[in-house]
Amino acid sequence: MTTITETTSQQPLVERRPRREDRSEWWAALVFTLPFVIIYAVLFIYPTLQMIWLSLQNAPLIGPGTFNGISNYVRLFHDRLFSVAFWNTAYFVLLSVIPSTLLGLFIALGVNRLKGFTQSIVLACFFLPYILPVSVVYRIWLFMLDQQFGVLQPIIAIFAGTHMNVFRTLSLFMPAVAFVTVWWLTGFNVLLFIAGLRNISPDIYESAALDGASRWQQFTRITWPLIWPVTVLVLTIQLILQFKIFDQVYLFGDGGRSDATMGMVQLIYRNAFQKNMGGYAASAAVVLFAIIVVFSVLQYQLLKVRGEK
Amino acid sequence: MFNNGRIAVIRNIVRAALLSSALLTVGVGGALAEDTIVWWDFLGGGDGVRMKALIDQFNTEHKGQVQIQATTLDWGTPFYTKVQTSTAVGQGPDVMTYHESRIPLGITTGALSVITPEEQAASGIKSSDFEPANWKQAQGPDGKQYAIPLDIHSIILYYNKDELKKAGLLGDDGKPKGLDGAANFDAALAALAKTGVTPLSIPTADGATMWRIFYTLFNQQNGAQFLSADNKFLDGDANIADATKALTEMNSWVKNGYTPAKTEYPASIALFTSGKAAMHINGVWEVPTMVDLQKKGQLFDWGAIQIPVFYDHAATWADSHSFAIPDRKGNEVPAAKRKEVLDMIHWFNEHSLSWAGGGHLPAFAPVRSSDDFKNLKPNSDYSSLAATAVFDPVSTLAGVASPVYDAAGNYLMPGMNGEMDPADAISQMQSDLQGQVQ
Repeated sequence: MTTITETTSQQPLVERRPRREDRSEWWAALVFTLPFVIIYAVLFIYPTLQMIWLSLQNAPLIGPGTFNGISNYVRLFHDRLFSVAFWNTAYFVLLSVIPSTLLGLFIALGVNRLKGFTQSIVLACFFLPYILPVSVVYRIWLFMLDQQFGVLQPIIAIFAGTHMNVFRTLSLFMPAVAFVTVWWLTGFNVLLFIAGLRNISPDIYESAALDGASRWQQFTRITWPLIWPVTVLVLTIQLILQFKIFDQVYLFGDGGRSDATMGMVQLIYRNAFQKNMGGYAASAAVVLFAIIVVFSVLQYQLLKVRGEK
Repeated sequence: MFNNGRIAVIRNIVRAALLSSALLTVGVGGALAEDTIVWWDFLGGGDGVRMKALIDQFNTEHKGQVQIQATTLDWGTPFYTKVQTSTAVGQGPDVMTYHESRIPLGITTGALSVITPEEQAASGIKSSDFEPANWKQAQGPDGKQYAIPLDIHSIILYYNKDELKKAGLLGDDGKPKGLDGAANFDAALAALAKTGVTPLSIPTADGATMWRIFYTLFNQQNGAQFLSADNKFLDGDANIADATKALTEMNSWVKNGYTPAKTEYPASIALFTSGKAAMHINGVWEVPTMVDLQKKGQLFDWGAIQIPVFYDHAATWADSHSFAIPDRKGNEVPAAKRKEVLDMIHWFNEHSLSWAGGGHLPAFAPVRSSDDFKNLKPNSDYSSLAATAVFDPVSTLAGVASPVYDAAGNYLMPGMNGEMDPADAISQMQSDLQGQVQ
């Protein structure tokens, strides 16, 4: 009790003076953020609440439904395809997030050593795939890996002994799609890492070199700790992005064993748009939303803690 | 003076303005007398070009009366989703193309309006002008008509005359001989293989193609029924046996090395057009590919026929591009506009000969029996399939880009390519589809 009265009696003394400034600050903040807050509320908060509400109904994609409690969720957790979709998505995240981050860092370290025009050219080369639309990426790789006519089949034949359709071989499907995805998206990671590397002052390296630090020591003691925040950012962006994997899996899997190669978003898409089961699809969407929130918060916190150590 | 002059100028300007706006009103009024039909379709590629030419012809012939304003959207699920969402809020076109196989789902999502017998009669549309199965496929469970067919499209057997001749399989009429009956067909494949050519190329990596071939072979057996009247998929042992028999036959082509496994759609066509494969099974919509190549002198002497009879009787999978009028909630297409739309649909059926250039068979029988069509090759060589065409099961789970098509990719595709035992594949497909029945 005494501590509370103490703080309440002391606190106003400190805070009284800046109150007027506070208010104008508050107005400025409101004016600047209001447009965003309105759009955020209309385009994100409201639809999200609607989605949660829809997930508690037996409803078609469009039109009214009937409230049925959590039975959509009960059904979802008993759905064979849900567990397939969940594990496929987790597998894909594992296959794509860490390789594309490490590869991005590796390429960035290399590109960063180049100077001037050469650097721009090389950087552009690595970034080029990133600007391609997914349909073009799909066409390129389907063509390159075609079983009959693909230019990469001789290489596959060296390892497998025969030509094979990698996108129609279950065990190779996810690794192949992850490979294509890494090829496609790593350019963006390279860009982020380069920005991070350029932020490290050359003076630090200079003095480290004077002190006799080896290249490896410079990397582990200077570069790695100083770009850790960028690494956390890249990992988090990639994690959220890859959890929502849809386009590539949908395109490469279309017409094939799409049940066995299904991801979470595809499960939502199929139920909502193909089977007209809006309520059920919404429950799958809510679960995916929850998974992404939990994972990204967890990952961000974990990585931050490690970075602060 | 100066003042008066100024007033005169202003007066003139006002007069000119009044006059021009009056003229404008007349102009707009004139334009309004010409009605517009808003049209949505999903026809891309060569089909899109051919349909655009027909639309242009219609617009030219109906100048001053009615004009079609056409928009082409993405084929498949995106198209049908857009139709569903727009009709729910009273938006959307006056007329749209629709796959007959999608009509059951279209009815349950409330996207389609009924075309009454009176409306049909008023526009000269008669059911007797269409194949009964084709006409019936556009009806709901209530027996009402929801669409008017434009074409019948199916799968056919493309063949290389030179290669067939080498294997002694070409008749004097330039058509293949001795392919009817599963045993004979297999013997023909063996004979072709002996000449060193790949006997048969199929898009074996494509679930949709698996479905079309499977459904053809399945329905060629007496009594086979994929979906029973009480919504049971492959009901009873007899149906399971028929389905297994069809898939086992398909699997044998791959197993014996007659058909390359897991071949992508474009590659399977390239195998045929490059002369590496002697025969090819694919949709009629690839006819323009062959015709164009031949025109450029880049293709051998080729032909196309109805899929041979493997079992008891002729039957071929088919679907149909049809016309439907959406049920725009709260903003229904007015009666007068519906009349114009149905007149337009009838006009398109009467002029569907040029649509046949896309390989399709006109649904409208008078066009199919015309001399012009009989001279259209190779269409007239396979037009016999129309009479025995079997359409997709009538179910919200069937039709293009449906769960049944997905099941074909999941079970028939690995079944044909030897990744799954055909009997297992059929029983798993049956339980999967039955499990999705609500």
